[in-house]
Amino acid sequence: MSWTKIFAVIRREYLERVRTKAFWIATILVPAFFLIYMAVQFIAIKKTSGERKIAVVDTTGQLAPALAAELAAREAALRQKNPGSRGIHWVVEPRPITGDLEQTKEALRKEVLSEKIYGYLILDPGLLKKDRAEYYSISVSEFVAIKQMDEAINLTVLRRKIEDRGLPPSVGRELEKRVDLETWKVTNKGVTQEKGAGILAALVFMVIMYSTFIMYGFQNLRGVIEEKTNRIVELVIASVRPIELMLGKIIGIGLVGLTQYLFWSLVAANLSMLGIAGIMAAGEAGAPLIPLSMIGYFILFFLLGYFLYASIYTALGAPFNTDQEAQQLSMIPTMLIVGGMAVYPAVMNNPNGPIAVGASLFPFTAPLIMYLRTAVAEPPGWQIGLSIVILILSTTAMAWFAGRIYRVGILMYGKKPTIPEIMRWVRYRPGKVLQPAAPPRS
Amino acid sequence: MTPAIELENVSKVFGKFPAVDSLSFRVPKGVVFGLLGPNGAGKTTTIRMIMNITAADSGDIRVLSSPMTRETQNRIGYLPEERGLYRKMKVLDHLLFLAAIKEVSRENARRRIAEWADRLELKPWLKKKVDELSKGMQQKVQFIATVIHDPEILILDEPFSGLDPINTAIIKDYLTDFRKRGKTIVFSTHVLEQAEKLCDEICLLARSKKILEGNLRDLKRRFSKNLLHLSIEAGPTEIAALPGVASSQAVNGGYVVALAPGTDQREFLRRALERYPLHGFSAKEPELEEIYLDAVHAAGMEETRPIE
Repeated sequence: MSWTKIFAVIRREYLERVRTKAFWIATILVPAFFLIYMAVQFIAIKKTSGERKIAVVDTTGQLAPALAAELAAREAALRQKNPGSRGIHWVVEPRPITGDLEQTKEALRKEVLSEKIYGYLILDPGLLKKDRAEYYSISVSEFVAIKQMDEAINLTVLRRKIEDRGLPPSVGRELEKRVDLETWKVTNKGVTQEKGAGILAALVFMVIMYSTFIMYGFQNLRGVIEEKTNRIVELVIASVRPIELMLGKIIGIGLVGLTQYLFWSLVAANLSMLGIAGIMAAGEAGAPLIPLSMIGYFILFFLLGYFLYASIYTALGAPFNTDQEAQQLSMIPTMLIVGGMAVYPAVMNNPNGPIAVGASLFPFTAPLIMYLRTAVAEPPGWQIGLSIVILILSTTAMAWFAGRIYRVGILMYGKKPTIPEIMRWVRYRPGKVLQPAAPPRS
Repeated sequence: MTPAIELENVSKVFGKFPAVDSLSFRVPKGVVFGLLGPNGAGKTTTIRMIMNITAADSGDIRVLSSPMTRETQNRIGYLPEERGLYRKMKVLDHLLFLAAIKEVSRENARRRIAEWADRLELKPWLKKKVDELSKGMQQKVQFIATVIHDPEILILDEPFSGLDPINTAIIKDYLTDFRKRGKTIVFSTHVLEQAEKLCDEICLLARSKKILEGNLRDLKRRFSKNLLHLSIEAGPTEIAALPGVASSQAVNGGYVVALAPGTDQREFLRRALERYPLHGFSAKEPELEEIYLDAVHAAGMEETRPIE
């Protein structure tokens, strides 16, 4: 192995990719789209404001005024807490029943359609007995508005019940209080409070791994085929051993991916300084505090997984002359990566269950799943160790296997080879291995 | 003197097809060596085996007196038959890369690239992408790549194929120059006229086998058919009647005369001069193509012809 030569290959792969416009467009557009998406979400939530005129058909005759009062009280509390914000202003308009209930509803439906009212609410004793109320509106996906209405109705009905039973108002206020369920993660060292930020970070890291394996793994396949179609490979092989070329390419392409992540994390770090990340992470999650072990495991599983999949993609690229020829077989690693992603909900539900253990030992899903398990639970040490050992062995074996296919495949042009032919390349050994230097003849 | 390259009983089989069949030859240092033969004779496979790109099934190959090592690899300049470049790379970066994988320092590489670019009038193109270059320009880049590390041996597979006459002339100059500096050149071609002008030594291949090897001048003498070119004042019948003439043919106002085996050229000329006014004469050497055809004939492989 000549590291001078490998370094030259790494340098070429890296610089030629990083210098392309496509790389920078992708690098800048992804965070840009992400920010725009967040901003739209944020604005959508903020913008859920303005007047909401609601018709209330209250056949109990008792709830509507209380509901209106409760909504008004909530609005006032919100305004006091956050003076700048313009929340939703509910206007409650009680309506009598004209004809029967169905006729009333039909009339109200027409009013909604002609935009005279925003929606209508049915508070009917028959329904309330079954703990139900009905809300009709053109938009029933306005989470903020519906959540407000839901909470207000529940509270109003609860108060009504308390009053009906003749309990003192102090008991009522106590009953209104809700218990906040705190979640704590049990580890060997004790317990830590888990507010979801750690899990969120683990999932983000997992998505990064997943997309790197697919995107940058596939880049390896394309790189190999490109060198073949350009007919450059023979010139390079006259100076560099195939295995050196392969390693240089895998490392170079991997570094391109890392550069992209470095850029993104710099953007994220700058944004959080500006306080925008604070808004992004707003809510229950709080600022994500990522433990060091999570980053350590990420680097380990990321590198092993990347080398494993890059080797597979390289092996699948070498025998073919066009992307199209390679397409069919290149589905195999892609499916394996997607498969790892697909079992993740099962692993989240039961991080030490049989599916989780199996998937974290199976080398092709191990990088994603073992990583996830180390983040969300504390798997037994022997499982982590075994998973890493299996992964290292598989990666080494796959790199060896890829190297054997590569050295033959890169010089094969013409007809698309069959799988038995490719397998022969792996076993292929020239009749005689090169002899050590024979004494020169005079 | 140790040879630059030496092959001993080298064979290579692709499937059932023998690409090279127990081939042996030596390339002495400081010569231009031509590996000749029709397409499919095994030239490219032989060159790839020398370069250790394809492994030989059997036999020994020694380059600078040992099997190809990392160190010898860096002392060889190689131009493959399948020529390509990274199309999106800038010419300068590309050459720097090809120099780097020969372990040439960046500084040296830059200096040599500048020199060669001057010589081949490539300077305005160094900052351009390979894609933007004409085919001729790309070929110049490829030739620079083969010499960027100042190799001792050049191995060129069909160096003239696809070259226009101007570039062919440039490359020929460059090969002559290279040889003057005491370096060794091995090149393959199926165009025998090119080999005839450039080679000191040749090896002729046909159907995976060597049919002839040696110094070109010696071979010409060996294959000489005792032909003389005469400029003489005599009629065809008078020429044919001269003693020792096996056959004769009128060519451009003179004659090409084939002497009968065993006839002494000087004796024949003396007699001719006694009878007719003789303005000039020269020994007519056989052309490489004729040698080739004779050798093929001797090997019983007539249908193999050195024609494109």
